[in-house]
Amino acid sequence: MKLLALIKKEFHRFFHDPRLIVTMLLPGIVIFLLYTIMGEAIHAEPQKYDYKVYVQGEAPSVTSMIEMAVEESGNTVEWLPLEDMDAAKKQVEEGEATAILTFTENFEELPENSAVSVVYDPMDEAGSGFYALSTALLEQIGMRFSILSEPLVSEEGLGREIMQQILPFIIVCFVFSACMSITLESVAGEKERGTLSTILVTSAKRSHIALGKIVPLACISMLGALSSFLGVVLSMPKLMGLSVGMLGGYGFGTYVLLFLLILSFVPLIVALISTISTAARSVKEASAYTSVLMIFVMVISLVTAFVPVIGDWAVAIPVLNAVVFMQELLAGAVPVWQSLVSVGANLLYTAALVFVMTKMLSSEKIMFGK
Amino acid sequence: MSEEIVRAEGLKKTFTLSKKQQKIEKTGETRRVAVNGLSFSAYRGEIYGLLGPNGAGKTTTLRMLSTLIRPDAGDAFLCGHSVVKEPAKVRDEIGFMTSELKLEGFFTPDYLFDFFGAMHGVEKSTLQRRKRELFEKFGIDKFAEVQVKNLSTGMLQKVSLVISIVHDPSVVIFDEPTNGLDVLTAKVVTDFLSELKAMGKSVLLSTHIFSLVEKLCDRVGIIFDGKMVAEGPLDEIAKGDLEKSFFDLYYGIKGEMV
Repeated sequence: MKLLALIKKEFHRFFHDPRLIVTMLLPGIVIFLLYTIMGEAIHAEPQKYDYKVYVQGEAPSVTSMIEMAVEESGNTVEWLPLEDMDAAKKQVEEGEATAILTFTENFEELPENSAVSVVYDPMDEAGSGFYALSTALLEQIGMRFSILSEPLVSEEGLGREIMQQILPFIIVCFVFSACMSITLESVAGEKERGTLSTILVTSAKRSHIALGKIVPLACISMLGALSSFLGVVLSMPKLMGLSVGMLGGYGFGTYVLLFLLILSFVPLIVALISTISTAARSVKEASAYTSVLMIFVMVISLVTAFVPVIGDWAVAIPVLNAVVFMQELLAGAVPVWQSLVSVGANLLYTAALVFVMTKMLSSEKIMFGK
Repeated sequence: MSEEIVRAEGLKKTFTLSKKQQKIEKTGETRRVAVNGLSFSAYRGEIYGLLGPNGAGKTTTLRMLSTLIRPDAGDAFLCGHSVVKEPAKVRDEIGFMTSELKLEGFFTPDYLFDFFGAMHGVEKSTLQRRKRELFEKFGIDKFAEVQVKNLSTGMLQKVSLVISIVHDPSVVIFDEPTNGLDVLTAKVVTDFLSELKAMGKSVLLSTHIFSLVEKLCDRVGIIFDGKMVAEGPLDEIAKGDLEKSFFDLYYGIKGEMV
């Protein structure tokens, strides 16, 4: 009953204050608009390219037609003889060469099974531009041969790679900023203004007061994080020049585990900031401590960028466990037990922090010390 | 004699002085005894005043009685419940008002009354009845839906009073109840204290204003440097002139101390 009243009070405070709602949802909207506009600007601008294309096999009339078409579009092309396929592919991957054209034997005589393959990097704008132009031309010729496109990275794989590398970090950033914006005000702010003491004079249990902060603030933070998350997910394809569908393609189980990881991670961050805010004497002091915590959390969430292989022991490390297993999920793996243990560990840490906050609320030195 | 509602037994509280406090007060002492073995009793239906200069230990005593801080030694019993062993039960028996406790400006009096009622476990229909009566009595009904931050100082004080007694407590504790109030609001507070007494509540207040004690209190305890130096019915302590009696005691003790 008392816990419910405390939870309802926090929700009332948030949902009856339009400014707080706007503050919470605005980052997601701004991110979406900003990234979309940036993406439009980047991809709308016409560019001139000097294509460097490796050629294997003889097809002089085809290559000269491609050359004419390339020059008509205001670009140039340099044909390079192919000596080592692997080395050439590596150059394409690194952006030093544009593409590799491979013609089957006696291509221009058009025997049966004649074909041309195009190796290119769809992430490279020059490569995808050359691919589009050359394949359109070859299709226009309309003779009996097949075109084999060989993108070095599949578009779906590309989308996944972006998701896998960037999204866990972005989620951590947005969850943290969403939690910080409301928790500091709600806990340290109430303590500083003396309104928390008014609640301490009632017979409500200290554990209920702690939970009465952490539970609703975690729910509200989740909304804020979701807004930012959607802002990123929906605008990222525009920014990267990809289609929205490429970022999907995950199974239901993956989404459930992802959701559970985020669900366990949000209350943990809220509990951490709430505990710090309870210990601090003012919002200013709490902000200073939380900034240090934020740097710490960011570093942990970036560890995976520098340490390629992290073992299952990561389940025990808060924040890191969420990042590692979110990355694995987004990479297509389904680390079920690791994700579930991580969720359990995060909830356990949250419970421990609720206990610490309860003790702090009972401590006169912390609550009333000058 | 009527029923004993508050009994303090040898309450003691010591605070550690920070380096900053030591510097401000130009002292080398690291610990300060704020309340030193304080004992007194207050009875049902009376107003008990703790009188003393600033820093005497009045506020610390009331904070111990309201369970905001724990005594280092001794104990106090409110309606038979120990502040050390049963703080939650004590909190349900008391209403505590001090400038230190604030109401959140975003909420309305109506919302806060319901919220603090729920915090004390008051049953819904009782809560609504009390709200109607108290809001009407104090003229809060017209401002029930105005955010607390937009209320005048006087109205805010009334709202704070009403919320402190939302659960109909047996004991009402006020720390410096008229400090910083204009004459009109101060009168509202003093009238309210008299009404509480008439309703059979026990009121404990701290003050350094002689006229307030003379006007309201049945019994008085005088505190200097954390020690109770005189305690009893107002007539016996005041001997016709409370201010004179107070300073006689003060200089007498200061003389002894020097």
